[in-house]
Amino acid sequence: MASLKEDPILEIDGIIIKDEFEIGKPVIDKLREDRPALETEGTVIKGESVIDKVREEGSGGQGERDMVPPTSNSIHRSGSRPQLDLSKAAIEGNFEERDPTILLPNQSDDISHLALDIGGSLIKLVYFSRHQDRPTNDKRKKTVKERLGISNGNRRSYPILGGRLHFVKFETSKINECLDFISSKQLHRGGVDSHSWHSDTSSNGNAVIKATGGGAYKYADLFKERLGVSLDKEDEMDCLVAGANFLLKAIRHEAFTHMEGQKEFVQIDQNDLFPYLLVNIGSGVSMIKVDGDGKFERVSGTNVGGGTYWGLGRLLTECKSFDELLELSQKGDNSTIDMLVGDIYGSMDYNKIGLSASTIASSFGKAISEKKELTSYKPEDISLSLLRMISYNIGQISYLNALRFGLKRIFFGGFFIRGHAYTMDAISFAVHFWSKGEAQAMFLRHEGYLGALGAFMSYEKHGLDDLMVHQLVERFPMGAPYTGGKIHGPPLGDLNEKISWMEKFVQKGTEITAPVPMASSGTTGLGGFEVPSSKGGTLRADASALNVGVLHLEPTLEVFPQLADPKMYEPNTIDLANHSELEYWFTVLSDHLPDLVDKAVASEGGTDDSKRRGDAFARAFSAHLARLMEEPAAYGKLGLANLLELREECLREFQFVDAYRSIKQRENEASLAVLPDLLVELDSMTEETRLLTLIEGVLAANIFDWGSRACVELYHKGTIIEIYRMSRNKMQRPWRVDDFDAFKERMLGSGDKKPCPHKRALLFVDNSGADVILGMLPLAREFLRHGTEVVLVANSLPALNDVTAMELPDIVAEAAKHCDILRRAAEAGGLLVDAMINTSDVSKDNSSSVPLMVVENGCGSPCIDLRQVSSELAAAAKDADLIVLEGMGRALHTNFNARFKCEALKLAMVKNQRLAEKLIKGNIYDSVCRYEPAS
Amino acid sequence: MEHNREVEIDGNSNPIQISRLALDIGGSLIKLVYFSRNSGDDEDPPKDKVRVSNGVNGRLHFAKFETAKINDCLQFISANKLLLGGGFQHQENCTNDRSFIKATGGGAYKFSELFKEKLGISLEKEDEMDCLVTGANFLLKAVNQEAFTYLNGSKEFVQIDHNDLYPYLLVNIGSGVSMIKVDGDGKFERVSGTSVGGGTFWGLGKLLTKCQSFDELLELSHRGDNRAIDTLVGDIYGGMDYSKIGLLSTTIASSFGKATSHNKDLEDYKPEDISRSLLRMISNNIGQISYLNALRFGLKRIIFGGFFIRSHSYTMDTIAVAVHFWSKGEAKAMFLRHEGFLGALGAFMSYETHSLDDLVVNQMMPLPVNASLGMDTNYDPLKGDLNGTESIQCSVYRA
Repeated sequence: MASLKEDPILEIDGIIIKDEFEIGKPVIDKLREDRPALETEGTVIKGESVIDKVREEGSGGQGERDMVPPTSNSIHRSGSRPQLDLSKAAIEGNFEERDPTILLPNQSDDISHLALDIGGSLIKLVYFSRHQDRPTNDKRKKTVKERLGISNGNRRSYPILGGRLHFVKFETSKINECLDFISSKQLHRGGVDSHSWHSDTSSNGNAVIKATGGGAYKYADLFKERLGVSLDKEDEMDCLVAGANFLLKAIRHEAFTHMEGQKEFVQIDQNDLFPYLLVNIGSGVSMIKVDGDGKFERVSGTNVGGGTYWGLGRLLTECKSFDELLELSQKGDNSTIDMLVGDIYGSMDYNKIGLSASTIASSFGKAISEKKELTSYKPEDISLSLLRMISYNIGQISYLNALRFGLKRIFFGGFFIRGHAYTMDAISFAVHFWSKGEAQAMFLRHEGYLGALGAFMSYEKHGLDDLMVHQLVERFPMGAPYTGGKIHGPPLGDLNEKISWMEKFVQKGTEITAPVPMASSGTTGLGGFEVPSSKGGTLRADASALNVGVLHLEPTLEVFPQLADPKMYEPNTIDLANHSELEYWFTVLSDHLPDLVDKAVASEGGTDDSKRRGDAFARAFSAHLARLMEEPAAYGKLGLANLLELREECLREFQFVDAYRSIKQRENEASLAVLPDLLVELDSMTEETRLLTLIEGVLAANIFDWGSRACVELYHKGTIIEIYRMSRNKMQRPWRVDDFDAFKERMLGSGDKKPCPHKRALLFVDNSGADVILGMLPLAREFLRHGTEVVLVANSLPALNDVTAMELPDIVAEAAKHCDILRRAAEAGGLLVDAMINTSDVSKDNSSSVPLMVVENGCGSPCIDLRQVSSELAAAAKDADLIVLEGMGRALHTNFNARFKCEALKLAMVKNQRLAEKLIKGNIYDSVCRYEPAS
Repeated sequence: MEHNREVEIDGNSNPIQISRLALDIGGSLIKLVYFSRNSGDDEDPPKDKVRVSNGVNGRLHFAKFETAKINDCLQFISANKLLLGGGFQHQENCTNDRSFIKATGGGAYKFSELFKEKLGISLEKEDEMDCLVTGANFLLKAVNQEAFTYLNGSKEFVQIDHNDLYPYLLVNIGSGVSMIKVDGDGKFERVSGTSVGGGTFWGLGKLLTKCQSFDELLELSHRGDNRAIDTLVGDIYGGMDYSKIGLLSTTIASSFGKATSHNKDLEDYKPEDISRSLLRMISNNIGQISYLNALRFGLKRIIFGGFFIRSHSYTMDTIAVAVHFWSKGEAKAMFLRHEGFLGALGAFMSYETHSLDDLVVNQMMPLPVNASLGMDTNYDPLKGDLNGTESIQCSVYRA
């Protein structure tokens, strides 16, 4: 296509298109007649009238996508049921506010298990609600399954059904709230008669709930009386270990380090987990060497623990609660009470033994001063001094024990920590100090739930034993940002209550949206044994409180089999650990929020109800953003993909099932109208020209992306012609990343050598409308022509204007009306079984066509985390030898650096300046065509 | 002021010649060690003493003051003419007239101006660790019946074979705690420590009780019952042992754990109980960390010293129990009779009168403690005095 450079003329398939677009006329005319315009791929659209129309229609649009082509690592993926009617999704009546999920009406959802950890100050509940897959009637699916050799039987081979694991806590002193909660959700009953899981309970109401913690004894009678259930006591230590093992194996971003205010998640290889030291800091401290599931030994402990902190703290200060005491420590200066090395050595360091002047020589050593009494010391200082003394001591003893048994990892949990940044810093410092940097203290996000989880695991046949990380997806409830990992309010019933709750927050003026400036790194200054360089005012007491979401168990999720190195795979390309990066994307998301709300409200008919939901969504999402700004790791590791998926989840939470429905529809129609002419044009080209034109078409069509702010602005300001012209101009090769020649050689060979065609290509599609219809479908058709099976991979749930697996069959069917290749392939792939197409008489003879199939990817995000894909995608991928990832979300924001066992083609137009600079050192609208041979 | 009484008790009517003085100025206490020559060098040496020609017989004296009352100390030094130096001119290799005394501890830096001003002498600073180790090595090798174990109220002296002394772990419990692995004379490494030490006991104790002195607090602990304040395993498991993990119901699960009760305030707890609880918490902790460090380096012996212990039986007992508990009986805590003076002794040994160290070491024979002092019936625990070890009969040599 060198000619492009010389000439302002586009050459498509050997047809020259001039700027005036004469050649594109038929297409354009058509567009002019009926639709808002789209074009792409070699098709040119002209016509200002169209543009005006687009302008109008687009004005309500939001498009936050440009920033957002996210990937979703984890939010919800409904295992694989694109066939569910999302429009009827409802929030289950008794979901408490922390539960972010929407229940799909066709699924039965049963509470199956409840387990308790009743401690001295908190009661922790873990319960599991499951949902059954509804029978698969979907013919497409059936055919796909047959094709791919995954019969339903395959799915049934999973012994467990999907469901959700919920985490809830109450103050022990308010145990009645807890009982009410259990009763209102019938949690105690669910365990009894719902399913065969619970063979050990009889149906006569003699229900048994697994419980651990001291309160399991203390409150046994109360449970019996109020709920008629018996508490089956599980050993505390057993539970702790079982809970920790489960979390470390099942949740990807569970463990983290915390040094000088910086939190960093640690990826732990499941096969290299054991042995480790588990330090549980309750009133006292237990140190447990864990060698495997159920294999552990309490090797040490100390009586100087949380009870000592709180007990001494209470005696020494007026604090009324543990949290108050902890909070006080933030403002303290322990140098008024502790004797520092500098106090002894006259502020010189005692370098010889590596102690600096600010090292604490003697905790409370200054309190021996005769002139002073208890009242002469500030409670803040006392609290900090106590906190350091105890944290350091625990850190030191833990390290010594780890050393003794040669344990690399030390995990700290228990109520003393409570996500408190200083405490974690102090412990980490001690471990770091004494180990001279060789050992690291780690903490767990769900640390408060170890016991409850362990009790939960002690049910026989809970079926979670073999749970794999990829089957769990964690999602955060609307209320998460408000509760900040703390005890949450009363359970919320229905959607309406949720909205009211949200509104109440706003009325109360509760400060939820103002992001707290993050402490710059190192400001905790908790130099371990040293005096903090800052007194801690920069860090909120609860700054490190981590939210705990609901774990969705999706047994059908699998690791994408073509990943070259699943262990090393990191979906996110952009690391949001960088604060400026984080800020940028937050700004982008915030800026686009109003548009999105408009669109969402419009998609629901603009009713008052939808407006109210829209407001609530905006508040909830803003709160999530604010929370993440102040604590990026609040929900676990944060990548752009997670952020983008969070937004989609948030929309679903307020029952906006598909904000872009009408837009997608309109664009699909417009594009389908143009398609036949495009295909004709393509067919008139030589194979080589056509291949380039097709790739160009994919790239150019990718500009029509409602997720891109830049593009949405184009819709608003420019004409379609202008957009397309610009897009085509950018198409001039070489592209910013341009492996087309290599790809062409693979496809067409060089010289006389005809390469062997691909057996099966997986095409990960992106947007609805022009993108998929004028870009990807023609490319798919080309593969089919070469005799390559094609699997179109689309979202399970809507995300922005991305096309979904549910929508694709109709689109393909419509396209097939005008194209034999597509029709035969679609028939072969089972996409046309409904005989929507009657032109198929002819097709019988050609039934030998390779199939065109559609599979869902298992997610509802603009990005994709290939560690968690639907089983049907996984099955389809096994025989694939080419993967085409298209669009920013799936090819750039995520997976740009992913390596595959088979060949991969990554195609995208970069619609964000910052990303362009960062990723490819280019500019907005640059194109990426990256071809990677199998690795 | 803890004026040692050896001068009087000694019963030696001859004028004492103070020969040498060394100081250990810590965060809370100042320890003095000085040598007094017996009036005549020919005084009868103890019978087990190997007499070396040219030796000087005399006594090592030990005294201590609270650091806060440093003026008492200065006065004591000056009143007893400790600076006169007697038979051992420490200035012999010193070209100027300025006299100096060896000193260690942080206060050697902090108060050096004060000594200059008040006494006109310079403090020559000796490294604290060096002094501790030197002092301990000296005691362990040179003094009979210096080390003992303490368990269940009974003290048992341990005879340590000099050839099998090293390596050992020296745990010095002052305001803070230093743990030192000692491999030989002058060969040692500070391997660990903790800030939870004597200062913590006294500091917290002072805040929590009305005690006016460390010793008063310690004394209180005798009468206390920590079960009123500590959460025991039995409190959690309803009086049952949590035998599965080897915890008795009387094991402390959480020090001060009961103080979290909302119904009670500080005044509701007896100072005795608080003191006892504090003492157990700190002693136990030190014992545990010490054991873990000994284990780490494969050290058989852990020797505890420092002023926190003060030969306080309950303190020693707790530490011993902690070591015993965590080591499952395999390690033993040992204590030194002169535990509080390791640093001062070490500083004393550091005078370079042609290497006094060598002289002493060369003597190597055990030096018996003055019997009359060892069994001092006037021992008053409130004064925190040691078991009558205020002086050691010894000989030193000039090279």
